[in-house]
Amino acid sequence: MVLQEITFYLFSAIIVASGVMVIAARNPVHSVLFLILAFFNAAGLFILVGAEFLAMIMVIVYVGAVAVLFLFVVMMLDINYVELRQGFLNYLPIGALIGFILLVELVFVLGTRFATPETVGATGAPIPPLSEMTNTEALGQVLYTRYIYLFQASGMVLLVAMIGAIVLTLRERGGVRRQSIARQVARRRDEAVEVRKVTPGSGI
Amino acid sequence: MDSLWSGYVIPGLLILAQILAVLLPVMIAVAFVVYFERKVLAWMALRRGPNIVGPWGLMQSFADFLKVFLKETIIPTGANKVVFLAAPLVTFILSMVAWAVIPFGPGLVVADINVGILFLFAISSLGVYGIIMAGWASNSRYPFLGALRSSAQMVSYEVSMGFVIVTVLLCVGSLNLSAIVEAQRGLWFAIPLFPMFVIFFISALAETNRHPFDLPEAESELVAGYMVEYSSVPFVLFFLGEYANMMLMSAMTAVLFLGGWLPPLDIAPFNWIPGPIWLTAKIVLLLFVFIWVRATFPRYRYDQLMRLGWKVFLPASLLWVVITAGALVAFDWFPK
Amino acid sequence: MQELLLSYLPILIFLALVVGMSVVFMAASYFAAEQKPDTAKLVGYECGFTPFADARSQFDVRFYLVALLFIIFDLEVAFLFPWAITLGDLGAFGFWSMFVFLLILTVGFVYEWKKGALEWE
Repeated sequence: MVLQEITFYLFSAIIVASGVMVIAARNPVHSVLFLILAFFNAAGLFILVGAEFLAMIMVIVYVGAVAVLFLFVVMMLDINYVELRQGFLNYLPIGALIGFILLVELVFVLGTRFATPETVGATGAPIPPLSEMTNTEALGQVLYTRYIYLFQASGMVLLVAMIGAIVLTLRERGGVRRQSIARQVARRRDEAVEVRKVTPGSGI
Repeated sequence: MDSLWSGYVIPGLLILAQILAVLLPVMIAVAFVVYFERKVLAWMALRRGPNIVGPWGLMQSFADFLKVFLKETIIPTGANKVVFLAAPLVTFILSMVAWAVIPFGPGLVVADINVGILFLFAISSLGVYGIIMAGWASNSRYPFLGALRSSAQMVSYEVSMGFVIVTVLLCVGSLNLSAIVEAQRGLWFAIPLFPMFVIFFISALAETNRHPFDLPEAESELVAGYMVEYSSVPFVLFFLGEYANMMLMSAMTAVLFLGGWLPPLDIAPFNWIPGPIWLTAKIVLLLFVFIWVRATFPRYRYDQLMRLGWKVFLPASLLWVVITAGALVAFDWFPK
Repeated sequence: MQELLLSYLPILIFLALVVGMSVVFMAASYFAAEQKPDTAKLVGYECGFTPFADARSQFDVRFYLVALLFIIFDLEVAFLFPWAITLGDLGAFGFWSMFVFLLILTVGFVYEWKKGALEWE
């Protein structure tokens, strides 16, 4: 199918180009916007391999939530762009090292496929063909039962993240008057109004 | 050459025709929604509303559009040009693309994908971008404040919308929108899931930055929020995008809770009317409620807005997910 | 597989069409209308004053907190989607599995509520 290949190369080319732009753009906001473009095209690639659920979750979680936070951070902080650029060369060795490690990992993953093709089917749950079951259902069939421990562990990770977010960012500010709706609703007439007899000339 | 013609060109044109059959009515409908809103608001305030251009003022929106089209496109000097112009495009494009998966009748859908509801959820979660980009790129105080408020607000209500969608999915067992509509053949979900229907609709008001949650554009304090610096077609795109989003949210509510294209009762006089008309009728009804709310309620305060989203809707919808799932498991009511 | 991809094709065409249309629209207006910019017109709107500082300033950290909490709950919702459509096959075990997951996150939710992270001031 020619169309499929054209779309694949289109998406991949955009991912690579916008990936380069993420690190090359002068303005960090542009970097984040290019990152979002890359996420989108990655979602497109997921659809091309038939992983539609993953593609949508990619858009919902990465683009709809994570990138919003990134944008918040880079847009609203007063970052000195020039200073930021100067650190580039200092961090280059460590960046190159991480890039190299990732490359080696990729080679290992793909290498096992070619070196020992018989191990490929042995790991993980077999995925039923798409004609029988959509991949959302296939995921649901195993995630909550067969992989229950990993599933609960991810719940724990989310809990830690939630607590961490609060510990790191929550600052109490004094002198703030808050509305307590329960107290407002529970207020009775005799707490609010008092009827007094006022004798003339004496005051209350 | 023959296979090129029958294999690509003809199906391609067919798809294009389907897309235009959805896109053009939606765009024309947006113009009439603006007119409808002005007219309904006018009636509710005992005014006449637009009544000069065309019969009963029906052509008002088109006249407005022409006027704005011929205005100068102003890009402020402090603005970031590319992002400034991209922001309205993002809002408009997202509000249009979502219509590709809305089913107008049995089989009457441009793209019948397996994960239709996730697609809609994804599109609505991207709505924030147009606004943040506009607020940041304008480099002006009002848009900046409007964008901040808007993004925090949209993000807060999205969580409860997600949970509400999950309760509906529990009762359907599929992510396909046509399947969601078909599952409501006997009973619309608005009846058994009534609290979720209410939460969803109110969250939709907050997602589209509509009254009473219109703090991002509150005229009286932020003049128009993130749209302050826009003029001409970029402004029109924001405007159209906002109203198309309102229609989209109404369509989503209709599909999830009011049985989409299905008639209220599957008996003689009702099922003579074709599906698309039923869906349109439901969308119009929901749009009327959108406008009715605007005419009736005062604006929320920001702390109240956040409290409603995080402390009322979030726990309530989460609890309802558990209750619905518990009931389905306990009584074995699963859809088959 | 092929069918699956074909069901997404209209979305791609739809997207291309709308992008093209709106860009053409913008460009058409730019050329059709008279463009006569001047300094007063192009300055950012600030109720009659000329702005004297960059509008992008630092803001309350609470906005970040809201965004962070949103990511966590969004992930939680993402976990719920496949569960919701397969619960019929998973039965009671699937239900209790998710119940424990939600319970763990409810602990976090109660914590943030008690800490006042959900209060807006």
